[in-house]
Parts: sequence; C-alpha cells; structure tokens
Amino acid sequence: MAVQIIKERNTGKINTVAIGATKEQGGTRTSIVTVGGDAALPFLHFEGEMPHKPVIAMEVQSRVPAQWNDVLKQPFADVLGDPAAWAKKCVDMYGAELIYLKLSGADPDLENQSPEECVSIVKNVLAAVGVPLIVVGCGNEDKDNVVLPAVAEAAAGENLLIGVAEQENYKSVVAAAMVHKHNVIALTPCDINICKQLNILITEMGLGLDRVVVDPGAGGLGYGIEYTYSILERGRLGALQGDKMLSTPVIATVGYEAWRAKEANAPASDFPAWGEQSERGVLWEAMTATALLQGGVHILVMRHPEAVSLVRKNIGALMVPQAV
Amino acid sequence: MEKCSVLFQPDNKRVSVAVGTDLLTVARLAGAGLKGGCGGEGTCGKCLVRVVSGRTETEGPPARDGLSVACRTFVAGDLVVEIPAASRLDGQQVLIDLPANGYAAYQAFTFDPVCKKISLALTPPSLLDATGDADRLALEFKRATGLDISFGLAGLRALPAALRAANWNIDVTYASSGGAATAIAVEPHDAAKGLWGLAIDVGTTTVAAYLVDLATGRIAGKAGSHNRQAAYGDDVITRIIYTDETVGGLTDLQRAIAATINDLAAALAERRRVALSDIRAVVVAGNTTMTHLFLGLPPANIRLEPYVPAACRFPPVTAGELGLDIHPQAVIRCLPAVASYVGGDIVAGVTVNGMAAGEPLTLFLDIGTNGEMVLGNRDWLVSCACSAGPAFEGAGITHGMRAVPGAIAGLEIDKETYEVSYKTIGDKPPQGLCGSGLIDALAKLRQAGVIDRAGQLQQELPTPRLRHGQAGREFVLAWAEDAAGIDIVLAEADIKNLLRAKAAVYAGVRSLLRMVDLDLEAIERVYIAGGFGSYLSIADAVNIGLLPDLPAAEYAFLGNTSLQGAYAALTSTAAQAAAEEQAGRLTYIELSVGNLFMEEFISALFLPHTDLSLFPSVADDPMKIREESIWQSK
Repeated sequence: MAVQIIKERNTGKINTVAIGATKEQGGTRTSIVTVGGDAALPFLHFEGEMPHKPVIAMEVQSRVPAQWNDVLKQPFADVLGDPAAWAKKCVDMYGAELIYLKLSGADPDLENQSPEECVSIVKNVLAAVGVPLIVVGCGNEDKDNVVLPAVAEAAAGENLLIGVAEQENYKSVVAAAMVHKHNVIALTPCDINICKQLNILITEMGLGLDRVVVDPGAGGLGYGIEYTYSILERGRLGALQGDKMLSTPVIATVGYEAWRAKEANAPASDFPAWGEQSERGVLWEAMTATALLQGGVHILVMRHPEAVSLVRKNIGALMVPQAV
Repeated sequence: MEKCSVLFQPDNKRVSVAVGTDLLTVARLAGAGLKGGCGGEGTCGKCLVRVVSGRTETEGPPARDGLSVACRTFVAGDLVVEIPAASRLDGQQVLIDLPANGYAAYQAFTFDPVCKKISLALTPPSLLDATGDADRLALEFKRATGLDISFGLAGLRALPAALRAANWNIDVTYASSGGAATAIAVEPHDAAKGLWGLAIDVGTTTVAAYLVDLATGRIAGKAGSHNRQAAYGDDVITRIIYTDETVGGLTDLQRAIAATINDLAAALAERRRVALSDIRAVVVAGNTTMTHLFLGLPPANIRLEPYVPAACRFPPVTAGELGLDIHPQAVIRCLPAVASYVGGDIVAGVTVNGMAAGEPLTLFLDIGTNGEMVLGNRDWLVSCACSAGPAFEGAGITHGMRAVPGAIAGLEIDKETYEVSYKTIGDKPPQGLCGSGLIDALAKLRQAGVIDRAGQLQQELPTPRLRHGQAGREFVLAWAEDAAGIDIVLAEADIKNLLRAKAAVYAGVRSLLRMVDLDLEAIERVYIAGGFGSYLSIADAVNIGLLPDLPAAEYAFLGNTSLQGAYAALTSTAAQAAAEEQAGRLTYIELSVGNLFMEEFISALFLPHTDLSLFPSVADDPMKIREESIWQSK
C-alpha cells in the first residue's frame, strides 16, 4: 500500500519583499531580488509553494576590515580598500545576488567617515554593480541616525534594504525608509516576542510590512545556532498560522557570526587536530549557512567565496521538489 | 569617639551620634520619619534632606535643589537637618475602609470571637474542699463553658492573689480553639470593663488596624500608618538582607513592626478611651516575610532558592513575647501562609472574598509591593506571586509616591497640545504620582502618542514638556510653579519600570491560566484588593495591559481584604478555621520554574501586549498618523 503523506494545511504565509529597482521602476538596477512568499516550512515543497529561492548577499565593508583573518581577506586582497571594486568582484567573479554594504568606516572610533563620504561610497557601489543593495550602518546609534537618512535620500528610487532598526532605535531609519521608499532590516536579540514587537512598532509608524525583513539575531555554528533555529522555527510556525507580525522574511549575517568563531580563527598550530585553518573557516561559514537555511532564512549574508559556492549548491539541491 | 548633636526639623528630635555616621542612620536613631527606600544603598534617592546648618561630608553626586541624599551624607559637626515633606514617612491614607461595593459577595461568618470573657463566682476553698486554685477555677469554667482551661506559668503565679483579691468573684478572659481554652487574665468581676481586640494588616509598606469590641464585633476605630520597617528598606528583599547581614537586624525589624503596632494600638485606645490592658486578642494578616519579621522568625531562606519559609503555620503567641504594649498575656494569632510569596494576607483575602465558596471562576489580584494572585473557585484554587516590584507604590519612580495627599491620582493629556490636566488626592499641589496616577499617565501618554508601544518617548514633539533631564528623556506632567517647587516628570526609565511591573502582573495571570489550561474568557469575576482600589481606572489598567481585557462589570474592588480577613478571624473562630483550611487548599505555583513566566513576561513588555488580539477593546493605534505628519512636514 502506498504511504499516505500527511500534509499540514497552513492559513498564513511569509510576506514577499522585493529589493532593488530597475530603470522602469525608477532605479538603476539591472536585476531585482524577491524573497519570501513561502507557504510551508522550509523546503517542504509538497506542502506549500516556495516561489522564491533563498539568496546570498555578499558582504562588503566601507573600510579595510583589518580584523578579518588572512584566509578571509585573501580572495579580496586586491579590492579591500575599494568598496566599489570589492562589490564588483563579488558580483562578477562570485555571482553575488545582492551586495551587503556595511558602512563600518562611519564608526566614530574608526575612520569616522562623514555622511557625505558614506553617501559617495554607496553611490560608487551602486554604479559599480547592477544587483540590488543592502546598506547597514556602523552600529553606533547616533552616527547611524545621521548616516542612514542621508544614504536613503541619496539612493532614493533604488529600493534598498537598509538597516538596522532596533527596538531602542528604530525611528530614524524607518522614517528614512518611508520617505525615500526603501525596505528596512529589523534586528532583534534572538527573542521572538521582541521580534514581533519591533514589527508592530515599525508598521505603526506607517511602513508597510511588505517592506520589512527581520534579522532575528543569529548565532554561529557552535555558538547558539540551535537557539537561533528554534527562534526561526517559532517565527515561521507563527507566520504559517496566520500571525502577520511574524510573517516577515528573514535575513541572517552568517559571515559575521561564522568568522568570529574561535574555530574559524585559530591557526592549525594551536589545534593540530582541527585541521587546516584555511578550510575550517570556510566550512564553518558554509555549515552555519546551511543550518540557518533549514530554519527558513531568506537572505544569507556571507563573506568567503568558497563558502558562498558551497551554499549556493546546497540551495540548488534543496529547491528541487521532493518526489513524494 | 567624637560625638556630634543632630537636630531634626520639623520633628524637633535631637540625637547625639559619632562623627561619620550617615544621616539616614541618624534619622532612624532619632526616630525622625525619613524614607529609606533602598535601605541605605544610595540607589533610590528618596532619603532627601536639607542640611540647614553645620558641616557634613558627602559621597557621590549632589542631589538637586539644595537637598542631600541622607544615606550618602555623613556627620562632620553639629547639625540641624530638615526633612522636607516629600521625604517624610507619612502616616496617612492607608486603606482601611470597607469597600462600598462587592461586600455582599463576601463570606459571612458566625460571631464567635477568638477571645471571650466569662464571669464566674467560685466557692471559696475550705477544709472540706481544699481543691487547688487552678483546678477550682477550671472546674467552674468547664461547668460554665464546657471547655478545659489551661494556664501559663505567669498566669498561675498570679492566680492565688488574683482570686483572693477578687473575693472569688472573677472575670476570666480566655482564648479558645478546638475545645480547649487558654487563660489570658483573671480579674475581679467588673461588668463595665470591656474586652477589645485588634485586627491588623501588616503590609510591607503600610500597616492598618481595626480596634474591635469583642463583646459585639463592632469596629470601634480604624487607624493606619507607615510600616516603620520602611526605614530599613522599601521591599521585603532589602529587609531580609538587612536581617541577614546586620548584627541584630532581625531584632531591629521585629521591634520596628512591634513599635508600629504599638503606635496604632495607643492611638486607637486613646481615641476610644480604652485601656491598653483591655486589648486581649490580636489577629495579624501579613505576607510571609512580614509575618516572619513580626514573630522574629529568620526569613533569610525566603530570599534564596528554593525560597523556603521557616513556617507557614504559626503558633499562637502572647503579646509580651512580641513586645506589644497591650495585655501581656493577650493572644496573638497570625493567619497562615501558603508559601514564601503567598502569605497570610492572601489567605485572609480568599477567606473573606467568597471565591472559595462559590461556583464562578474568580481571579483575585492583590497588587501591592508584590503582585499575588489566586485563581479558582470552591473546587480548586491556584496561586502565584510575581515580583512586580514596588513601582505601583511609587518606589523606583523619579516622582513616584504613595497615595497620600498631593499625589496625582489621574490625569488627561491633550492630543494636540500635549497639555496635561491632573487630579491630586486632597486637591493639594502635586508632589508626585501614586500608583493609579502612574497607570493613568502610561495610558494617556500612549493615547496622546507621546510614547510608543515599547514605552519609548518620542524623539521630538512640539512641546517643552518633552525634554532631556538628568537621567535621559522625560516628560513634564506638572511644572514647578504649580507643584511643590519642582517639576513633576515621568522619565523614560520610569516608564520602563512601570512596563516591567505591569508585565509581571499580567504575565502572572497568564501563567496561572496556562497552568490550568484555561482561557482568559473563562474568568467570570475579577476581585482586586489592595491600596489601588478606589482610584484605579479599570479602563486605564486594561489599556496598558496590566489587567486582562474583560468586561468592566466583571471587576470589583474589594479594598483591604487582608485587614478584612484579620477582622473575620478575630471575630469568628469559624473564619480562623476557614483560613487554615484555605491555606491548606491553595496550590502554590512557583513561577521561577521553567520558561513559562519569562516568555509571558517578555510578550507583556509592550503596550498593551505583543499579542494584540488579547486586548480587542484597546483602540487602534493613535501614533501612526501623527508620525507620518511629522515626517512629511520635515
């Protein structure tokens, strides 16, 4: 007798968010990226449609990331000082579907780049690549509250994904996104309730839920990834059961989480049993990404080209509908 | 060691202390009523005094408006110190009245007081009947009452003289329980002499008492005052730490509560022209820690995991043992507790509020320094306590205060101009906000769009009321010229504190419901006890998500049910027995076990709640349009 597959019927689904705008849409992008729309748990194609595949955004920084280890810097050694060239390399050589530009140089404790300098970096990157752009601040609230509105205004029409909005500081970036028609990353510290609360706060300011992507605060492999998974799962189940405020697509800063793990940074001489450091970091990033994919992440922000290529292969395999 | 003299105004109390003593300790020694919220940790900033003359040394940043933080100010010479009104421990406005509504729902108990008096005419002994004095009395007593009476050692020592002085014509005062009687006093017969008792609610913050005529059950007088233990800290935890870390700390606190009760007893007795020695029974209802401190039981383990009290059932003791200045043999009974954080005050409430006798599913909430709640009906009762903190009693809030004259109890905020109109208790100039005022402020700030659902103040609004203060952004509710000289503000940190307090209470309710797998809709009545009562607006409390969104008709304010329960147990042995029974029936749920409460707490840290569907009656958000217009006008 044939096995009867029991299918879950879901009343809700994940929102669709489109990032980037082509010429016809008022921007200058040559492609746009659409994420979300899932009507089932991740990759359960037989239960519900998953119209858009998860995408990989490659990370570019607005300053030379001195703290990155050599394994990670090596592929970009020739472009680390030029965000536009770095972005172009990510797209042309490594097939990045989006560029995630972190304006780290704006940090008052580092280069302290002015809002004007940040705007010009963003414009250079926009000119260098055709893919949609994600732009995030340096992490200093006061500075970001000046920089992000300036970037949003200068890039009006490009339909960026900008961030981050946090519970204690969301108004400036959300307002900037509303006025200049961009999308927003809502970052919360691995807490499903706060995730939902922030979505409510943002939508109550008047930004549509179809313009919000949440970063529920990932943990890297070995550093709380199972907790992240349970948060992702709870959020997804809530969304499928019809909770609108949990139905936003998810972004995860995989590269950042993976490459700060001890396992990605310790030289082989310290831990001979761990094997080659050059492979370890890449695998750490790839494993983190694939685990989070299973949790339902829509946009993976990654760093190393080899990890990107491994994960892209994995996404391709996962997107083939199962024969059930 | 060098001694200095410190004079406190306006009490005019003088005390001599060593150089280097902090002023909070000096005030305690002088018996001057000064608030000491954090118990001298230097964190609450409530013990503000004005050094009128003399030399002091201070530690830490200066307080504002020429005031000094007493616990961080040290004697360096002879001083004159003034305690401003806002820093005084005030004896007023303690909730002692029976509520106007809801009383009909109460359990009625047969009048049968815990302490009675009977007149006996004994046959004097003779050579033919040489029975001992005590046996002679016991025999006659049994004949008259059917009870066996026993005497304490002190009573026996005094008995022979007492019988002879009375010429064998005596009044016997006794306490009875379960078929046995204990002698309290044996005196010459005097029909005019009354028999009195005290029902006392020992709250962490306030103590309230009834003076009761035990011949009739009539309440002859009511009085309330601040718990003098407050000088050692605002909350139970600070006080437990004090007993643990200070030599003689438990004795200090036991004496402080005994002194508080003595003051109340003296005031009531004087008012009614009752001799203190005629007060011969006391029933005390208090939370578990208060009962421990009153009895001098070490409370240290209440604070430490796994949160174990020394006892939940307390033996009858005599007034003399506890240092109460009433009849030394007077019987003192403390209502039983359920657990470390559900005490005799809650048992008292459940005993009198009728929930344990009826069919309707009832939620009983006592929102005091701690938020305790009981859910159930005659078939089952579950209870829990959540550490709401003392925010609703004004502690930990910049301009928080108790519900005394001058407290803002309610307010309105204009949605266009952000102008504030308020109502103070006693129509006095505002000094701060009491619990109901704080709840109202939260609701109205939200409705006017001044704060968002997470309790954050807006970045900018066209009003000077929104400004940067010493501790971040704040909103001015009353300007200094209308208030008692200082701007009354609500700072963002205060709002967060209130949010946590309300979230704890609501999370407690939800946790209890989830433990028994019931929905909010299953609740048929909500009884609210505690000092909030008369001023609290249900609509506001629902608006901020403190209370569940249930029809207003299901709510009833019961007033001080702890005091009512103590009164019931004083005037009825049946009520005393019922309290014992309820204490045994109440199932205590420890919220610190598992994640349930924490989950509920985080989702309740929002106005009104992360799950907006739990608050269907709370109107749609007012802020949306406003934000848009602000940003478009830029």
